[in-house]
Amino acid sequence: MGVTKEDVETAITSSLSPSHLVVTDTSGGCGASYEIEVVSEKFEGKRLLERHRMVNTALAPHMAEIHAVSIKKVLTPAQAQPQPEPAADKAQA
Amino acid sequence: MAASASASAARPLAGDSLTIHVSSRPQLAMVSALPRSSPPTWRLGLGRPARLSTRSPHARSVRCLAAGGGLAPEMRATLDKVVASHKVVLFMKGTKDFPQCGFSHTVVQILRSLDVPFETLDVLANEALRQGLKDYSSWPTFPQLYIDGEFFGGCDITVEAYKSGELQETLEKAMCS
Repeated sequence: MGVTKEDVETAITSSLSPSHLVVTDTSGGCGASYEIEVVSEKFEGKRLLERHRMVNTALAPHMAEIHAVSIKKVLTPAQAQPQPEPAADKAQA
Repeated sequence: MAASASASAARPLAGDSLTIHVSSRPQLAMVSALPRSSPPTWRLGLGRPARLSTRSPHARSVRCLAAGGGLAPEMRATLDKVVASHKVVLFMKGTKDFPQCGFSHTVVQILRSLDVPFETLDVLANEALRQGLKDYSSWPTFPQLYIDGEFFGGCDITVEAYKSGELQETLEKAMCS
């Protein structure tokens, strides 16, 4: 059994307490591929690489079953504010 | 994980038994410094990289090694050499000309478009390399891009850094060093 979208959301929510989270299943249903957007205060002062590592760490227990994770956005609340959410449009498309 | 193990189990990964197909031959001169026949007599302290290399001081090791405890010392030493053997090293699925994965393909395209010389290693051709790198870089997926001996990121980071110009900057700096 693959990893569900909810599994991914729960894992990220519990370790990063995001203020905004979009998990998109891009696997076509088999649960092996996800796109992720996260906004969290915990990214404050962290470089992009470190932010990605934090997300990877959160997902570590599931990684064996996930084939691909694409981390599209890792933003702090402050960074997420000024942009009128061009990313959000895409995610909903 | 396959690479975690006692000293004896780690021996198959030792220096010269690790066949690595690089797109052009890395300079392996320093590999002779590796403990080849004798079993490792030292163990890694938690997470600290063992620096066998006497190469340039800026051949930094990977920053975040807290999770890399399961890596055999020989594998770590070998990877230290490999990532330092060229300015830009890409560990990918497939080869430059025949990437076996969309993410790997993307990074190859970016590097090509920037006209930067880079070496690639196919992790699909070497399972020990593939598992070892995950620990070494503390990064669960491929491709993995190394610039100037330092882990730069995977596909998403490379794409983002390409868009922001940070990748070009980092590469320029690496080429001049």
